Amino acid sequence: MANSVNISIEAPIENQIQEITYDGQEIYQAPLSMSENLARLAQKIDFSKTEDEFCNIKKEGESSSDTKSDEDNKDQSYQSSLWPWDSVRNKLRSALTEVSVLADVLNIAKEKRYMVLDPVQPEKVESRPMVQVYGRKKALSAAAAVLQAGMERLRASETMRMARNMPDFHIDLLRLRQNWRLKKVSNTIIGDLSYRTAGSKFSQTGVFEVTKAPEEQIAQAMSMNTGGPPPSALRVTVPPELQGVAFISVLCQKEQEEVVTATLSASALSCTAGEGELHWQQRLEAAQNVLFCKELFARLAAEAVQLDASIPHMVVGNQIMATVLPGIQLLIGLCHNNGQTNANANVEGVKTEGSSSSGKSDHDHVLEHSLHQLLRAVHHANTHHPFPHPATGPLGPSKRRCLAGPMAADRYELLDMSKEQSLLEQIIQQAQHFFMRRRSEYVLDTIAKEVKDPLIVSHWNALNSPTQSCVKINIMAHGYDAVCRTSLVVHVGEKTLKCICRDGKVRHLSYELQELRDLIYCQIYQHQMTAVQAVGRCMGWQLLASSAHLGSGPVEPLGNASSCLLASPNGDRMIAIRCEPSVGIQVFIAQSPRKDFFSSELVQDKKWENLGGAFKEIKLDKMEGKNFLNKMELLMACLSSPS
Amino acid sequence: MSANAAPITATDSLSQALKANIIPNQEYLLQGSVLDSAVEVLLHRLRGLCDNVDAGPETFDDQEVCFSLRDPNHHQAPPLMLRVRKALDARDMPFQLRYIGQPDLGDKNRPTVVRSSLDIACSGMLIEFLNELGCRIEFEYSVKGYMFRKGRMKITVAKVFKISQNSMPPEPISQSYLVELSVLAPQGQDAIGEDMRAFADQLRPLVQLDKIDYKRLGHMSVS
Repeated sequence: MANSVNISIEAPIENQIQEITYDGQEIYQAPLSMSENLARLAQKIDFSKTEDEFCNIKKEGESSSDTKSDEDNKDQSYQSSLWPWDSVRNKLRSALTEVSVLADVLNIAKEKRYMVLDPVQPEKVESRPMVQVYGRKKALSAAAAVLQAGMERLRASETMRMARNMPDFHIDLLRLRQNWRLKKVSNTIIGDLSYRTAGSKFSQTGVFEVTKAPEEQIAQAMSMNTGGPPPSALRVTVPPELQGVAFISVLCQKEQEEVVTATLSASALSCTAGEGELHWQQRLEAAQNVLFCKELFARLAAEAVQLDASIPHMVVGNQIMATVLPGIQLLIGLCHNNGQTNANANVEGVKTEGSSSSGKSDHDHVLEHSLHQLLRAVHHANTHHPFPHPATGPLGPSKRRCLAGPMAADRYELLDMSKEQSLLEQIIQQAQHFFMRRRSEYVLDTIAKEVKDPLIVSHWNALNSPTQSCVKINIMAHGYDAVCRTSLVVHVGEKTLKCICRDGKVRHLSYELQELRDLIYCQIYQHQMTAVQAVGRCMGWQLLASSAHLGSGPVEPLGNASSCLLASPNGDRMIAIRCEPSVGIQVFIAQSPRKDFFSSELVQDKKWENLGGAFKEIKLDKMEGKNFLNKMELLMACLSSPS
Repeated sequence: MSANAAPITATDSLSQALKANIIPNQEYLLQGSVLDSAVEVLLHRLRGLCDNVDAGPETFDDQEVCFSLRDPNHHQAPPLMLRVRKALDARDMPFQLRYIGQPDLGDKNRPTVVRSSLDIACSGMLIEFLNELGCRIEFEYSVKGYMFRKGRMKITVAKVFKISQNSMPPEPISQSYLVELSVLAPQGQDAIGEDMRAFADQLRPLVQLDKIDYKRLGHMSVS
């Protein structure tokens, strides 16, 4: 509370700064010397002002000559700036002359012999009050006439409106103003329906005009639909190029030989005929949509021409063709139905084919919505630049850009920051991902249908992005899912798949279906092998040997053969399992004291029968059991003998 | 793929940038103040006038420390003032080192104050570095308020606080908010001053934004 604060007072910098160098040094102007200072002050004296104050009897001729001489003096001071006292001397001399003349006149007038000073009465101004009164009365009556004429008109339109119960122009205009931006320009009301304030930089303007609907039309409309809503008193005129309905059609299809394929049937676009029937809100919204679609298509077409893809994109008329994956094309078209004459004739540049009845049914609404969202995101980024933190920073640079300095970003990082993906690239990526996802789904579904023995369960993640999805695949046998379960995760990208298996191996697959299919089959057979070993453990059987990549036997076309050898709890039985992805599973059993041992001359001792017999193959398809694991469990059960 | 030509050195690109006059090193400024009781109305008006109506006004909370560097040989020369500003609400943004020059006393008819201003983003070691150079702390304060933008113009409505030593909340130095309208631009773009003056006129009579001459601050009438 009673803190004393030191206050230091110092005079501010007296010398003007002439220049600031880039290292922050300030160079001051040298202060003026005494004589320079005096000369500067003397130049500032304005002699014309002092003359007017003292001499009231100045005639206009003399004052103009003074101003002329002032100008001369100014010119002179520009020319002879070496001697600033010249103008001062001239001024003083002329002042002296004037004062001497004045002194002489006063002396002569004081003597009263040759000159006398007399007071003069000012002239009286005649007052004419009646003229003023008449003038004011005339002006007021003119003003009253104007006001009365306006009032008569308003009263007439009001009574007419009340009589016929017609819609009010001003109320309708208020409603229009609540939804759209209007401006009054001289006599007309102009509105703007473009996305310019939302961040669009499209050059086409969306200007519409609002006028009063003629009364006959309103009366006619009211008499025609008595039950419906009353027509509005406004009429909006939309520019002709924005009339009608438009949408962007996005189609993914197999590659066709013809360059231009017709995709739109004229009946796909519905447009109510007639200008007067559509409410102004619908008409304005339709026009705004047309403008948006035009901007979107113009941007995509420009990008298609500029982008350097391996297979170049083609722009033909109102269609853009881009190759998404080998054999798959993406067709983006602008469909605009002007609706002026009959709908059939005005579909621009498209001929209908009988075979391609796909039309609007194949049109991908999701990708169209994505395109709309992408353009809106571009608009948003145009207006919402990040604010600087701290507040005195420059407006504009993003956070990464601000950090580029202190974090010592190199040239390549800076260039990367400035690159951004175009709309066409983004939509192509989304289309690619859509295809990859559909293909992966198809592969998994077919495998699940084909392979019944271990069950293939796939869980697709509910949360995904337009360019990435995730699926978790569980391979398990019915009834044995607690014993052994193999799972793997597949990340579906735009053109590649990434499989992460439980053992930690990450495999990157391309867009070919066959690779995923092969991988799943290999995983299935690996699962069988590990599951059998797990079941054996449960049953008490011992694992003698196992090999995941067996080198014996014929070369496998797909993957590697794997095998394992199990021994019963008391060691007298053995099961050998060989698993091959292309052939299937083969099971062999052997028992330890050989049943077919007969002593011969070479091998005489009886003890050699314990070495174990030959392996005999089991016909798995004749065995009882729901699935392979069940069969193995039953086999192990019946081979385990109590001892 | 053609091989890259010899890469442009940093000094070359810097001298090119200097010649092309694209470095924003001038600040055009108009300042004013409003009492605490009147600031809500001003904020409403600014929300209506400025860009980005959908998002709320951006708040900021900064702390500024002012250093001075004296030349040991020339004691009479005025010291070099440097300001270090950090954002307390965005800790991951870099510190800002700022040099503000004296206002350009050129034309009396210029609508705004024009002064040289250089902003450099620095890492957190800045204060130690300045101490090593020999700078001494002159004063410090904290600023908290709202930021708006309209095109290139930036408008801040903020309250200045004194930094207290212990962990007490900072106390304001006055019952009013400081309003600043500024544009950072390269040299020679004087047309922006007219736009700023037009915008400032739209904010009258809520706040009067004017050129403030610091030397004559003592003689200014309170109106």
